[in-house]
Amino acid sequence: MALRDQLRVLVVDDMSTSRGLITQALEGMGIGSIATAADGPSALQTIERSPVHLVISDFNMPGMDGLALLHALRNGAKTAGVGFLLITGRADKEIIDRGRALKMNNFIAKPFQPNDLKAAIEAIVGRL
Amino acid sequence: MQEIRASFFIECEELLEALQDALQMMEGGEADDETINVAFRAVHSIKGGAGAFGLDDLVAFAHSFETTMDEMRAGRLEAEAETIALFFQCGDLLSDLVRVARDGGDIDDAVRSNLLSQLEELAGQDGQAAEEEVVDFQPMGISLDLPAIDGLPDLEADSAAVTEATETEANALRHVEIRFSPEPELYRSGNEPLFLLRALAGLGESTVCCTREALPDLEEYDGTANVMAWQIELHTNADDDAIRDVFDFVDGLCSLTITEVGPDDPGGSGDEVTAAPLPVDAEPEASLPAEPVPEPIRPQMSEDTVTQAAERPADTQRSKPGATVRVDLDRIDRMVNLVGELVINQSMLAQSVDASGLSGNTKIASGLDEFQQLTRDIQDSVMLIRAQPVKSLFQRMARIVREASSDVGKTVRLKTEGEGTEIDKTVIERLSDPLTHMIRNAVDHGLETPDDRVAAGKPEEGIVSLRASHRSGRVIIEVADNGGGINRPKVRQIATDKGLISPDQDLSDTEIDNLLFLPGFSTASEVSNLSGRGVGMDVVKNAISALGGRITITSTPGEGTTFSISLPLTLAVLDGMVVRVGSETLVVPLSAISETLSLQKEDARALGPQTQVVRVRDTFVPLINLGTELGYSPPRESYEGAIVLLISHEDGQRAALVVDGIEDQRQVVIKGLQDSYGHVPGVAAATILGDGQIALILDPADLLMNASGQSRPHQLARTG
Repeated sequence: MALRDQLRVLVVDDMSTSRGLITQALEGMGIGSIATAADGPSALQTIERSPVHLVISDFNMPGMDGLALLHALRNGAKTAGVGFLLITGRADKEIIDRGRALKMNNFIAKPFQPNDLKAAIEAIVGRL
Repeated sequence: MQEIRASFFIECEELLEALQDALQMMEGGEADDETINVAFRAVHSIKGGAGAFGLDDLVAFAHSFETTMDEMRAGRLEAEAETIALFFQCGDLLSDLVRVARDGGDIDDAVRSNLLSQLEELAGQDGQAAEEEVVDFQPMGISLDLPAIDGLPDLEADSAAVTEATETEANALRHVEIRFSPEPELYRSGNEPLFLLRALAGLGESTVCCTREALPDLEEYDGTANVMAWQIELHTNADDDAIRDVFDFVDGLCSLTITEVGPDDPGGSGDEVTAAPLPVDAEPEASLPAEPVPEPIRPQMSEDTVTQAAERPADTQRSKPGATVRVDLDRIDRMVNLVGELVINQSMLAQSVDASGLSGNTKIASGLDEFQQLTRDIQDSVMLIRAQPVKSLFQRMARIVREASSDVGKTVRLKTEGEGTEIDKTVIERLSDPLTHMIRNAVDHGLETPDDRVAAGKPEEGIVSLRASHRSGRVIIEVADNGGGINRPKVRQIATDKGLISPDQDLSDTEIDNLLFLPGFSTASEVSNLSGRGVGMDVVKNAISALGGRITITSTPGEGTTFSISLPLTLAVLDGMVVRVGSETLVVPLSAISETLSLQKEDARALGPQTQVVRVRDTFVPLINLGTELGYSPPRESYEGAIVLLISHEDGQRAALVVDGIEDQRQVVIKGLQDSYGHVPGVAAATILGDGQIALILDPADLLMNASGQSRPHQLARTG
């Protein structure tokens, strides 16, 4: 059974367009289990209910931004070890540094092609 | 992909709206630290989406815009009035770029490069420099040879471990067998097993079997004995308590056993297993023995029932963000039309039942009443789907004010009120053009020049107000300015010069104001860049009346002018009074009728050879005989005993319409005539009545305007 069949991914983005695009790209990679959330708090809830291996989250979100979500995940007993891929609109050094401090697994800057996303995911979990 | 692209543009509209809101708050000084973040995020999200679709123009501009806003976020740039004004202009351009990306077209490059250079100047070098920096980051893999996350299977484990793990997952679903056997008392107390079975099906996939073991032979059958029982196989993640909760209301009226058959095995390939819901929380019930455990029902009034039921849908694999659904407008329109047909059908049915002579207290009649009520409720609900707040429209007007005021060199502030007022989406769309024109007019003609304002002791800044509200089943939209008011002598002069009225005509203030609505009238002595775009207030008026609305003016010299538009809530149905005139059946909108009267001999009085008035309490109201007015019947000899509908117009004008009889009062579906016949004076639309007959729906205000013997400006224009 290939890795992609088992990998569970949660996509977090406040823009439904982005969620749609990312989900579509993930489906294109053959990833079978994809959940989505529109904001940090509901992402945490979803994860609590059904754990995932990898969270792919936008940085720029109202209320709880991507790094605040990462912080919450790292501090959760069950979620501390979850893989985290941050999507940023700009590869801002300050954001990346903060992410690094929170053990962010990887990041990808917008805009990206499905292949870029795949490479960024594979850098975390290995060959899909 | 096309679908996502379409949804991107819809999302852009929302983001642009959020941007406008934030900028307005900043302009009004109500901004807090989060406001600039909201504005930034909106632009940033547009950029992000645009990048995915390769909309480079949009990305480039949004990038510069957000870079400058980022400076403000970082506290390096003050939110000065000029900067906010620039942001507004950038917001407008951004909205244009979105439109061009969606519909095609051109952007004014001069405007764009001007804005870009202003943005860059504000952002300075710092913002750009931070951008260029290459960020060094080493991706971190997650350790896959260990269960990385609690509760998740080990990814790299051998296939046996995976199978084991996935089996554990499947435990979340239980397979239970429920035996439900009602006591006779359950039926006697009016309970319905079907509802219980349905509620049970809500907990998961269920298979229902009716057991007939207790069913005796027909000759032995006792109708009141308990012979029916059901066996239900349920695949659910609900626990026994949740299942019992379903039977809460029939506690003691049935026997109920819940048997754990075992953990659910959905079967199939590994792929399907992967798609099954993850173990949410390991339910202790999952490990219950697979032995039958018959249990009596425990009495239980649990609040949990509600909570559990409410939470259950959220257990689906993909969480549904937000509580809204985007639906193609065509689908809603189709539904609106169907509901319209349903209303017609319902009234036809009611009529034929009525005609069949059934008495009012039969089941059919009461069923029909319920049907009518339901039809109405459905209709109201469907109409609500189409309703939208006027906010988006008002925001567009904010832009018009900004552009118009800078074109004519006036300082103007737009005040809005009642942005949450909802109207039919079509009405909102079709209001855009007339409102734009009215706003331009208010800025251009309504408000004085800054010098004149100061000379008149007013603040230099003029105010244009846009207000929306609900009033007696209609929506009122007002466009007001605090300018100099309508220059009536000048209006009169122009109308005379253009031959619209004769010089010696005696006109009231209201009548003079209404001259503005005459075709070919324009108060601007020269065609200004702004409002003189070939359309006059007559076009505005036509657009409004095409929406079933009316427009009125009130103006006070020195204080300003208010245009008030009154619109129906929906364009699809109306409450009407069905009346008979000659051999025709007509519908008069109920909203226009203030009362109905039966005339006494002394009520009607002649006021000249053609004009009759009727005395209503202490006032005299002009009498209009619908039959003669519409050419259905000859003039009446006497109005004694005549039935009269008293019509009230928003501007206070009244008239008494004489009809031959009132037949019914009902909701009718509006079928437009405009497409086939254009505007028919006095007629708003048509409808299909319960008996299949077509009836015209009158437009009382239009009728009043055109009625013979009425001295309205419209009339004067023709004769004068």
